[in-house]
Amino acid sequence: MRMTWPIGCKAVSTWFSMNSIKRHAGLLFILPGLMGFVLFYLLPFMVSVWYSFMSRPAGGEFVGLSNYIDLLQSPAYRLGLRNTLVFMGLSVPLNMILSLVAAMLIKNTGRFKPHFVLIFLIPLVIPSGAMVFFWRMFFSSDGFLNNILSSLGFEGVNWLNSEYSMFTLLIIFVWKNLGFNLVLFLSGLSNVPKEYYEAAKTDGAGVLRTTISITLPCLMPITVIVLLMSIINSFKVFREVYLLMGAYPNHSVYMLQHFMNNNFFSLNYPRLTSATTLLSAAMAVITWGLIWLERKASHD
Amino acid sequence: MTRQGFYIASLVIITFASVLFMFPLMVTFTNSFMSEQEILLHYRTDLSLFDIVDGVYSRFISFRLIPRDFSLFQYRTVLIDRPLFLMLLVNSIRITAPVTIGNMVVSLLTAYGFTCWRCKRKEILFFVYIVVMLMPLQAVLVPNFIVADWLGLSRSHWAIIWPGIFAPFGTFLLRQSMKGIPNECYEAAQIDGAAGIKVFFYIVVPQMKSGITALAMLVFIEYWNVVEQAVIFIRDFNMEPLSVFLSRIADGRVGLIFAASSVYMLLPFVWLLAGQEHLEKGIELSGIK
Repeated sequence: MRMTWPIGCKAVSTWFSMNSIKRHAGLLFILPGLMGFVLFYLLPFMVSVWYSFMSRPAGGEFVGLSNYIDLLQSPAYRLGLRNTLVFMGLSVPLNMILSLVAAMLIKNTGRFKPHFVLIFLIPLVIPSGAMVFFWRMFFSSDGFLNNILSSLGFEGVNWLNSEYSMFTLLIIFVWKNLGFNLVLFLSGLSNVPKEYYEAAKTDGAGVLRTTISITLPCLMPITVIVLLMSIINSFKVFREVYLLMGAYPNHSVYMLQHFMNNNFFSLNYPRLTSATTLLSAAMAVITWGLIWLERKASHD
Repeated sequence: MTRQGFYIASLVIITFASVLFMFPLMVTFTNSFMSEQEILLHYRTDLSLFDIVDGVYSRFISFRLIPRDFSLFQYRTVLIDRPLFLMLLVNSIRITAPVTIGNMVVSLLTAYGFTCWRCKRKEILFFVYIVVMLMPLQAVLVPNFIVADWLGLSRSHWAIIWPGIFAPFGTFLLRQSMKGIPNECYEAAQIDGAAGIKVFFYIVVPQMKSGITALAMLVFIEYWNVVEQAVIFIRDFNMEPLSVFLSRIADGRVGLIFAASSVYMLLPFVWLLAGQEHLEKGIELSGIK
């Protein structure tokens, strides 16, 4: 298709030439989504960062870092941060190890493989609300778990409201999220070249030796991805904590999310926005570091 | 250990773990067929006079997998006699359906745009999408709240729906899955003179069926289970989705909880059975590469 342009529109015509329209046609498809993305995410996010340096959102004055200092000095924030980090430090490795073991075992089950994967995926799709009553009956002080413990001669504990509550969360978290990591690890295992195993077999390597020398190194890149996804998913435990234990749970499981959630009700913008900014910055650094690690791992 | 021995050992361990994993669901499902009296019998731990006479001083909850009498009482109450429950289920649908469909359409367009836009700087923009996608929900809620306030949407379902429609995760997932379509497809289409829109509808969309289904499933699961946004935005009891309501169910209505939960989890469960491979694909694609 040939087009002629009126004189004087040369600059415009090069910008709008067919070639450049073709080149940037993709932008047309991006625009509707991009506008929504900017309106609902980018813009308010920047506003939120801006608010975090102001004494009040409307008509406030610039206060520099004082909101952050207040935040970091707040005992509730510190408690939430500490518990969130503790939970992450326990749940992420636990879930990764268990799902890796499960993936290695399931890989051996031949034609039953999809059925087992299905079973571990079910908790992932079940809404948290549907399981709350069960967990309450399971973990409450006169619940099923204490029933078993007492029949074995142990003293029961209050799983829902004591320093043992962290343990409760770990169980629920692994139950719900094991399937996610499992699928990622299984896809990683299926990518290990079969020749490696055959070579190891001819060399007479046993199961343990093969696992350590072949399987685990080959899984390194996917492991970094699983780690990243596990860190992100570990925040999702808040649903269960909140539904099961309410807005003010035992201090041992009071999370960062509780802190932020509770500040919504008083609409404490300086606290909310500075906490959001800090959390986002921390996640951005972690993500960047892990993606860098993954690139390195899959390069070697 | 021999190969055969390893196979059997794996099978035994995994079967055992599977039983443990299925236990909560089995209890919820089978107990939904119990009568109200039987539920109260099992799930009430306050002592009665008879217990004290019998010398029982503490009672524990014990799960019973098989109901003594099979009863549809709970389902009848939940589905027919108490309209509140169905109303809350409709709330869940009213949030989930627009988000799933809207996010699918928007993500498909944007992901295609990212694939065929020939500009080096697009990767910078895409990186911004990834960074926002990886933010935990809690970090996105404050921005969501600010917009909802601007647009006067807070207190309505739309405060949850709009950010859901434009969530960057879908764009990322579909672009990953578009990488599977060979470049020659686009080129062949362009030589034949098919314009962008035609390439999109006749070449990209049909090849993306699996990716689109995977996305729809993941978005559906996420929003069917919506908790945080509902807690923050919805203050009206009648507008809550089911998830929040079920956690507050009072002791007096315990007799219904298992049927209510079973109805609530039916939809995602059936979808998983029908499309297990799509969910697996979705999970695989959502890992950053």
